[in-house]
Amino acid sequence: MKLAVWLRKFPFWSYVWFILGVLYFVIPLLATFEFSLTMERDVVGFKAYEKAFADPDFLETFGYSVFLAAMTIIVSIILIVPTAYWIRLRLPEARRIVEFITLLPFVIPAIILVFGLIRVYSSPLNIPFTEVTLVEPLTNFKFGTNVLIIGGYMVLGLPYMYRSVDTGMRTVDVRTLTEAAQSLGANWYVIIARVILPNIRTALLSGSLLTFAIVVGEVVLASFLGISAFGPYLFLLGQHRAYEPAALTFTTFLLTWAAMGIIQLITGGQEQVAGAH
Amino acid sequence: MTHLTLSNITKQFGDFAAVRDFNLEVAKGEFVSFLGPSGCGKTTTLRMIAGFETPTEGEITIEGKDITNKAPSQRNVGMVFQAYALFPNMTVAQNIGFGLRIRKEPEDAVKKRVAEMLALIHLEQRGNSYPYQLSGGQQQRVALARALAIRPEVLLLDEPLSALDAKIRVSLRAEIRAIQRELGITAIYVTHDQEEALSISDRIVVMYEGRVEQVGTPFEIYNFPQTAFVANFVGTLNTANAEVLEPVNGLIGMDGVQFVSAEDLKDRRKGDTVKFSVRPERFSFASEHNRKDNILDCTIENITFLGSVVRIQVLIGNTRFIMDTFNNPFLELPKIGSKAQITCSREAVLVLTGQTEEELRDSAHAERMSS
Repeated sequence: MKLAVWLRKFPFWSYVWFILGVLYFVIPLLATFEFSLTMERDVVGFKAYEKAFADPDFLETFGYSVFLAAMTIIVSIILIVPTAYWIRLRLPEARRIVEFITLLPFVIPAIILVFGLIRVYSSPLNIPFTEVTLVEPLTNFKFGTNVLIIGGYMVLGLPYMYRSVDTGMRTVDVRTLTEAAQSLGANWYVIIARVILPNIRTALLSGSLLTFAIVVGEVVLASFLGISAFGPYLFLLGQHRAYEPAALTFTTFLLTWAAMGIIQLITGGQEQVAGAH
Repeated sequence: MTHLTLSNITKQFGDFAAVRDFNLEVAKGEFVSFLGPSGCGKTTTLRMIAGFETPTEGEITIEGKDITNKAPSQRNVGMVFQAYALFPNMTVAQNIGFGLRIRKEPEDAVKKRVAEMLALIHLEQRGNSYPYQLSGGQQQRVALARALAIRPEVLLLDEPLSALDAKIRVSLRAEIRAIQRELGITAIYVTHDQEEALSISDRIVVMYEGRVEQVGTPFEIYNFPQTAFVANFVGTLNTANAEVLEPVNGLIGMDGVQFVSAEDLKDRRKGDTVKFSVRPERFSFASEHNRKDNILDCTIENITFLGSVVRIQVLIGNTRFIMDTFNNPFLELPKIGSKAQITCSREAVLVLTGQTEEELRDSAHAERMSS
């Protein structure tokens, strides 16, 4: 009788779909991992990993992508946090328009974005109606291309970073905290730096890690702008090798899971602090 | 000496006038409450003093200095919010010291002041706790300490006890008042709870629909309401319509029953309809030794025991009245349905001007329906 009751209450179909979903994602990963271990005939080992990590191009491109990711994250935070804050505080009617804008990167392919960047910034910026050049074409020098690609990455990461920050701001009463800080004599810089930012740390971390994952794996922008980033390196490697790309792909997945784990660990403590009212 | 002055303050949001022609002078160290129903403009007025709203017209001064257009961070007013607004990422001590550090006070002075404030609110052992680790009452005390730490010119409290349960509200409001008295700080307190306002204020400003209905001490507001709205909003009240019988003698009549009032009816004529009111506690049972200006025959309709008070519903003429009497183990209460005589003085019969809150709401509704 008790067994019958338990069986009736047991969420059988929930478990079925959950297991099917897990298998759908895990089986290809396991297959990739298993493949990456078979570089040497009849030997199961990490030879592919050794060769991949020993390649100087790997370190150079990965390090450069990490640098670009860090710069993208910093500039995104400087732009997006005050914007989301001001919309929440003073311009709630603008929220829908801004949310629509942040969805555009999902709709506009990266190839269109990069062609637009090249089209606009491959010409010099002159004083109107004169031949006096203010800024050389950004595509002509390294710093310029870095600026272009960071801008492009910011656009690609915009939906994730903006939504993370906006969600984070929803968990704190931004308006009342701002007024409390103002009544105590704080200016705008102090309010954002010492009151708002610390209370959206978890949201910033989520947005940053998502942006990091996008930048490190991105191929199209880096390829067309001639940047030696990790994405094009991985793509090219895949054209000529079999086992090393599999090893690097699996490693990338591990890094992403580690990032998600960090978010979970930090979120578990921060919710209590940030959610206090 | 006037410490805080609001002169001809008006606030418009588009076509809607949230505050109209508000005038008030507050002395140093005075505790003034803004009392009224939701939407009456009390919080808007408070926010204008704080600097979070700018008056459409009028002027606000503190110690003679015009602060009307000054930024909130430049006014040196402390504010306590309904939702506490403690900074979740800072400890209690850091919250209290926040304003002092903004002012770049030496760290020693900050620590000393924080310790003083923690002692004032009796949370000396909780300096390293975070807000989420405190109860609602404790959080609000920390918010009060944070507002007081900066030695503000004026302390503003926006319904600080609304989010707390009844028992904590009663104890905390007494604590707030005691602290305010001890420090001698001018305080403006917004509430919709009349008991709160009556119990802790030096003066009360009763507001309705953006206007000031009456300003006075709690005693004056309760015992001498100047309008029907104030009479009805503050405390329980019996109201009824009556006809003026003898304006000179203050005689009015309702359902064949005569009431004599101490109010000046010289500007009324015989036959005019007036609204009058009597507080329930002003009635008492008539006896040989207790016969006041008004002796009224009534029928006992209902008796409710409320603990320290016994509430008796009576029918005078065709109109129901409430009579409150203190509970007394030796009190002989009449039976329900029996006849009795009750009495009240002429001073207890108040003739009101204006409309009660219910009548104002009904007429506003009727106006909306007809337009």
